[in-house]
Amino acid sequence: MDFVSNKGPQLQQMLEAIGVKNIEDLFCSIPENIRLPRPILDDGMSEYDGMKHMEALSAKNTYAGFDNYLGAGAYEHHIPAIVNAICSKSEFLTSYTPYQAEASQGMLQIIFEFQSAICAMTGMDVSNASLYDGASACAEAILMALRHRNDRSKILIARTLHPHYRAVVEQYLASHDFHVDYIPFHKDGRIDQEAFHNLLDHSTAAVLLQYPNFLGVVDDIKALSSQAKKCGALTILCANPLIYGLFSSAAELGVDIAVGDCQPFGLPLQFGGPYVGYMACKEDLVRQMPGRIVGETVDTKGRRGFVLTLQAREQHIRREKATSNICTNQALAALAALIGILWYGKEGLKKLALTNFQRASYLKSKLQSLTNFSSSEAVSFNEFAIDFDRPLEHIMDHFRRHGIEPGLDLGRYYPEFKGHLLVAVTETKSKMQLDHYYKTAVAIRGR
Amino acid sequence: MSKTIFEKSQREQHAYSLPADEEEFQRFLPPQNLLRKVPLPLPEVSEIDLTRHFSELAHKNVGIDNVFYPLGSCTMKLNPRVNEWAAGLPGFVRTHPLAPEETIQGNLQLIHELLEILCYLCGMTAGTLLSNAGAQGEFVGIRMIASYHKKRGEGGRKEILIPDNAHGTNPATAAMAGYTIITIRSNKHGDLDLEDLKNHLSDRTAGLMLTNPNTLGLFSSHILEIAKLVHESGGLLYYDGANLNPLLNIVRPGDMGFDVMHINLHKTFSTPHGGGGPGSGPVLCNDKLKEFLPVPKVELVNGSYKLVWDEVGSIGRIASFHGNFGIYLRAYLYAKLHGNFGLRKIAEASVVNANYLKKKISGLFTVPFSQHCLHEFVIQADNYIDRGIRAMDIAKRLLDYGVYAPTVYFPLIIKECMLIEPTESESLATLDRFVDIMHKIVEEIQTHPELVKTAPHTKPVTRLDEVLAAKRPILKHLTLNL
Amino acid sequence: MKYTESHEWINLQDGLGVVGVTEHAQKELGDIVYVELPKEGKQVKAGEEAVVLESTKAAADVYSPISGVIVEVNHALTKASELVNKSPETEGWLFKIKPSDLKELDKLLDPEAYQAMLSKA
Repeated sequence: MDFVSNKGPQLQQMLEAIGVKNIEDLFCSIPENIRLPRPILDDGMSEYDGMKHMEALSAKNTYAGFDNYLGAGAYEHHIPAIVNAICSKSEFLTSYTPYQAEASQGMLQIIFEFQSAICAMTGMDVSNASLYDGASACAEAILMALRHRNDRSKILIARTLHPHYRAVVEQYLASHDFHVDYIPFHKDGRIDQEAFHNLLDHSTAAVLLQYPNFLGVVDDIKALSSQAKKCGALTILCANPLIYGLFSSAAELGVDIAVGDCQPFGLPLQFGGPYVGYMACKEDLVRQMPGRIVGETVDTKGRRGFVLTLQAREQHIRREKATSNICTNQALAALAALIGILWYGKEGLKKLALTNFQRASYLKSKLQSLTNFSSSEAVSFNEFAIDFDRPLEHIMDHFRRHGIEPGLDLGRYYPEFKGHLLVAVTETKSKMQLDHYYKTAVAIRGR
Repeated sequence: MSKTIFEKSQREQHAYSLPADEEEFQRFLPPQNLLRKVPLPLPEVSEIDLTRHFSELAHKNVGIDNVFYPLGSCTMKLNPRVNEWAAGLPGFVRTHPLAPEETIQGNLQLIHELLEILCYLCGMTAGTLLSNAGAQGEFVGIRMIASYHKKRGEGGRKEILIPDNAHGTNPATAAMAGYTIITIRSNKHGDLDLEDLKNHLSDRTAGLMLTNPNTLGLFSSHILEIAKLVHESGGLLYYDGANLNPLLNIVRPGDMGFDVMHINLHKTFSTPHGGGGPGSGPVLCNDKLKEFLPVPKVELVNGSYKLVWDEVGSIGRIASFHGNFGIYLRAYLYAKLHGNFGLRKIAEASVVNANYLKKKISGLFTVPFSQHCLHEFVIQADNYIDRGIRAMDIAKRLLDYGVYAPTVYFPLIIKECMLIEPTESESLATLDRFVDIMHKIVEEIQTHPELVKTAPHTKPVTRLDEVLAAKRPILKHLTLNL
Repeated sequence: MKYTESHEWINLQDGLGVVGVTEHAQKELGDIVYVELPKEGKQVKAGEEAVVLESTKAAADVYSPISGVIVEVNHALTKASELVNKSPETEGWLFKIKPSDLKELDKLLDPEAYQAMLSKA
């Protein structure tokens, strides 16, 4: 099937009006020797067959049948039903980037509210309209810091930053001559503050930290950022925004640029995307910030309205001197995140963050009580590493036979954490499920 | 006055509910010194007020589902709802990106098959779906080109050639990848100036970025010669796939001589624009470049699909996980529904629609390029400047007639231009109606120019003060400052 | 006062070159919303980009007419970018440069030549 409206009668009429005999005549500028012949057989599908095909394909995925304890930057949370109801409205779903402001006040106000919500949670002064994901947000923040402190050329990145995010940052920095040092961590997963202090110097433009870090640990960001500030370096904090419901905001921690992924709000796992990168910063950095920004203004009658503003930073105006090449962003996903945030609201977000913390702490403490298993004493949020102290292959198998995907094999990314599992616990896990996890772990200990 | 959601807050009202709590959970409390001191300045709104707020906002917005959207270079075609249905299947939605391979064979199969479809369509041999948008796809492609030259000891090739009518992402991408941009002129036919190209090709050339048809909707018949010249100088050719729509199963970028390219799935493959994203910008390449593709890759081994997380030679990662899976899933179904047969129909119909529209309104405007266009065409509204009317004014007046304005002022090199792309979705009646509206507006320019100059009049707001927005930026709800 | 083909003017005052854009330039650019000023102490060559003038729809480079060191920038423009539109050739000056080679001034256009250039266009 196809969605081409015009059929024989119309096509005839139109070709006549254009003044050509055949459709092929319109393609005469394409060299004949590379032009393809028109396909003869219809190898398409009807809508019904297409739907059956997709159902069969989705049935080949068995993951949804497991209790999911995988996190590592993609978290399973409750998605309020109104998220989809609002996002699938034609006026949002099928609309274009709001360049024609008068016809796009809906989307522009949404972006303005998203920016406001990000500033509310992070405590920062300004936010942009979204980036692709947490990884590219980190990369863009680093480039931004290097533009701002163009007299410096060194970056410090925590080794406990998400390995995939680190790899993307390296990608964005690959064609430049900047120097990157990685900040080591202690056995308990916390950043090595002394090593950090030794790496910091007056050639450091910025430091990039994660909160909680990839190992689930909440570092003393405030201490680290003030050290950075003393050296004249910017602090970039990559955070799961849910943590801001309960723990100190980026502003309270002395951070200059707050980035991360809003996926925990309103966005399902979806095999890794689309998610939503966010970026917020202090006011004096706004002109270096990449991406679209919506601002408030008035119309000719003095009525409040919203427009894309500070566009001279962007690629369509500044071209090779733009702050970034970003054009299409994650707009609709940002709307989903906004609805998710608003559905919880002031009190709800706090309670959501608390129940995440509590459920994770509950499982963590029960697993710790099994003396063979240990986890870090350091503070965690809704994710923690547990040391099974034995090869994980059999452990994973055992859990899976009991319908549990127990977590991420950390040894994959950190050789010093071989035999450790990274376990994420969100509000989606009931006490019954958590006890089931614990009982399954108990059975392993017996082996 | 329109209120933001923050201004609709009422104390203690809320929409949320939380899963059943347990007493055992209560004893775990985070350390006091780590808690936020400033209370969250988010609004307190009930579910009904939240719902109505977004309904109000929907009334102040329009999508392809509502109106004709002839935005040149954006390919605003119908976003089929069957794609939305497929993207919502729990079997896809609930898969974690790090799930074990055996449990996500459906996803891996989809990725593998979609790449096969796209490679076949474009005359390429390998590709990736990891890039989250066209611009990110460009970045991946240029990084691959850089690795190619580096591997061959030709890291000294520091220049990327870009036509003057290229989309802004092209030079922005090249700069992000550390290259110097050399701008190549277009000639008076809108084609790349071959002499200017020859003068700038050298052993410092890493590559040429080209859109074909170009941003004026014109296919460069010299493409084979251009490819030959660039390859002879040792450079590679990058294809910006933004204008792929009219070429589906007509001609393949690989056959034109391109080495690497991206596709905008949110243009050619109907995935919804969502008010500015998310999109997806897969990158495809030929054998010269395939070893440099980013990771992870999907391979078919003995009947099952495997993920390759690391590979020597690969440029590395570009996305957190697997790119915008939910988006390219929609493109996959779209491609399967059409088959090569249907995709060809898209190309042909998009070109017929564009040429028809061009023929019908060319009497009203300056048409800088008289030859047949492909899927989009440029007109100039400069003949109305003496009445004080510019292209932007006409665009704004179109909004009053229930049509979204075409792209204005791009490409930058054409004065008072409008770039119009109807796409294959539109029926003859819609096109004829657009022609009628243009006639009406041109009449208004003669009789009531003020009406056009101060348009739109029927929208929630009149023209907005963009100077004020830039000079005194208000970028968030103000009472957040605590 | 001397002029460049790219619509900058330069006026020698107490050994320093005061630089700005012409009336013609500000009209072409439209409302200036932001002026990206260089750092004081920056060394520039003749013809090198020194300042960026931003309107809502464009960003225009301003080139230094001569080589030297930028010793002072017009900080008033940070809060009042409209000065460039209102008085481009007086209060809306952009920066003051200490010339490294006064002979470069001879290569620039004198007022009559600049006016002639404008009327030809």
